[in-house]
Amino acid sequence: MAQAAEIGAPPARQWRQSTVFLYLRSLFALAIIWSLIALWVGNHVILPQPTSVAYELFRLVISGEMLVHAAVSLWRLVLSYALAALIGIPLGLLMGLWPWASDLLDPVVEILRPISGIAWIPLALFIFGVGNELPIFIITYVALFPFLLNTMAGVRTTDRTLIRAARTMGVDQRTIIRHVMIPSALPQILTGARIAGGAAWMSLVAAELIGAPSGLGFAIEWYRQLLMTPKVIAVIVVISLLGYLTDRLLRWLQRRLTPWSTGIGAGR
Amino acid sequence: MSHPATTGPKLRLDAVRKTFTVPRSGAEVVAVETADLAIEAGEFLTIVGPSGCGKSTILNMLAGLELPTGGTVAMDGRKITGPAAERGMVFQDYALFPWKTVFENIEFGLRYGPHGKGLSTAERRSRVARCVELVGLGGSEQKYPHELSGGMRQRCGIARLVANEPDVLLMDEPFAALDAQTRIILQEELLRIWGETGDRAERRTVVFITHAIDEAVFLSDRVVVMSAHPGRIIEILDVDLPRPRTDATRTRPEFQALSQTIWNLIRDEVYRAATAAGSAGGAGD
Repeated sequence: MAQAAEIGAPPARQWRQSTVFLYLRSLFALAIIWSLIALWVGNHVILPQPTSVAYELFRLVISGEMLVHAAVSLWRLVLSYALAALIGIPLGLLMGLWPWASDLLDPVVEILRPISGIAWIPLALFIFGVGNELPIFIITYVALFPFLLNTMAGVRTTDRTLIRAARTMGVDQRTIIRHVMIPSALPQILTGARIAGGAAWMSLVAAELIGAPSGLGFAIEWYRQLLMTPKVIAVIVVISLLGYLTDRLLRWLQRRLTPWSTGIGAGR
Repeated sequence: MSHPATTGPKLRLDAVRKTFTVPRSGAEVVAVETADLAIEAGEFLTIVGPSGCGKSTILNMLAGLELPTGGTVAMDGRKITGPAAERGMVFQDYALFPWKTVFENIEFGLRYGPHGKGLSTAERRSRVARCVELVGLGGSEQKYPHELSGGMRQRCGIARLVANEPDVLLMDEPFAALDAQTRIILQEELLRIWGETGDRAERRTVVFITHAIDEAVFLSDRVVVMSAHPGRIIEILDVDLPRPRTDATRTRPEFQALSQTIWNLIRDEVYRAATAAGSAGGAGD
């Protein structure tokens, strides 16, 4: 994060060390390689030039079409992500704190977990049909496990000495759960939240490709059928950007909620 | 003394035995073998001994964090059945809550535990502020533990202990992870906080665990020497050095003689342990 340039360095040097510059430089290099490959392929449908993708992206944004798709997708994403957190975190706490809950639920979790969310899409098509329900179901399913497993692991790995310290101050079990075990698990819960965020974006696109009448995934499939490859790639670019921004947001949240965990390990 | 002397010792171990079962093999390991010990109110008692002598186990049983396999551990004549706010503890690895600031760490027991019941927020805060000053952490109240040096962290640990006003202060090798200079400073500070210069009746009971002989002699009224395999008490020595103790205390012939006596008691065992663990570069503690 803060690799802030040395004090007194000239502005040009500061700029060359800034994150924005480093990102732009890499993306520019990528665009040149892409352009060369596109020249070599020579087929606009298979691989268009980056400039025509940029042009189509611009047009989709100006016309408002991109905004509509992105808004629909984001709405589904936020709703399912919240659902996954609301189910996954309490279940993870339950399983982390009480062995009987873990004995009961762990086999179910371990059997369901390896099944990719995508595997449920055909079945979900029968159940929900094409609409909002299918992507919401798939995303919730996929985002649930990172929340659950990380919460559980976080609670279980609470430093025993911290619990002992609290007990020698005479506090009861409820306080220990509320003020020792949950805060101690918070950094890992937030790590789970970031993994869930990435997984949610991936499954969102997969679910919308097949099972939704709108959204970014739908737009990709729509323009593919029309052989409008530049627009397909333009939508992909937007997905990438939004996914990246989601992760930045979650990382910011992580720093805000757990300011101590930057120095953890050295801590205690 | 605030209590008549006839009420008996503050803490008492009566034929205490503690065994553990090794998880895989099912073998039984004796951690403490029939320990008898009476600790008087207001006394500073140190338990010293080589690794594996069961000194920490005894402390944990006094805290109520572990229960004896046989015999009884009692405080004021009442059997100890679990941890309580009357018996606070300081840990070798500080055990500060990383997500709480120095102030919030010190406040923890008063805020969430029984000893803070009946205190208003303002009273609680002013007591915490007094403890911050007492240990010399003024100005660091809003820092997180990871921003502090080891010595500062343990000052915070001591303040957290003192703030909760326990009757008995249990200290599990609190200075073992600190460098030699910091350790000497904190030893003197601990005696000051304990009330060495003040009235004897004002002092709390302290049980202090260490493997450093000079530390034991410097701090204590009495030193309990333990030996390992099985862990047992081999000697209880009075320390007749005047208080308050200072740098000059360390140079007194009685100090040196007593340290030597204790070293003679445990030397053979320490050597044995050192050669057994020699190839591994010496065991952790």
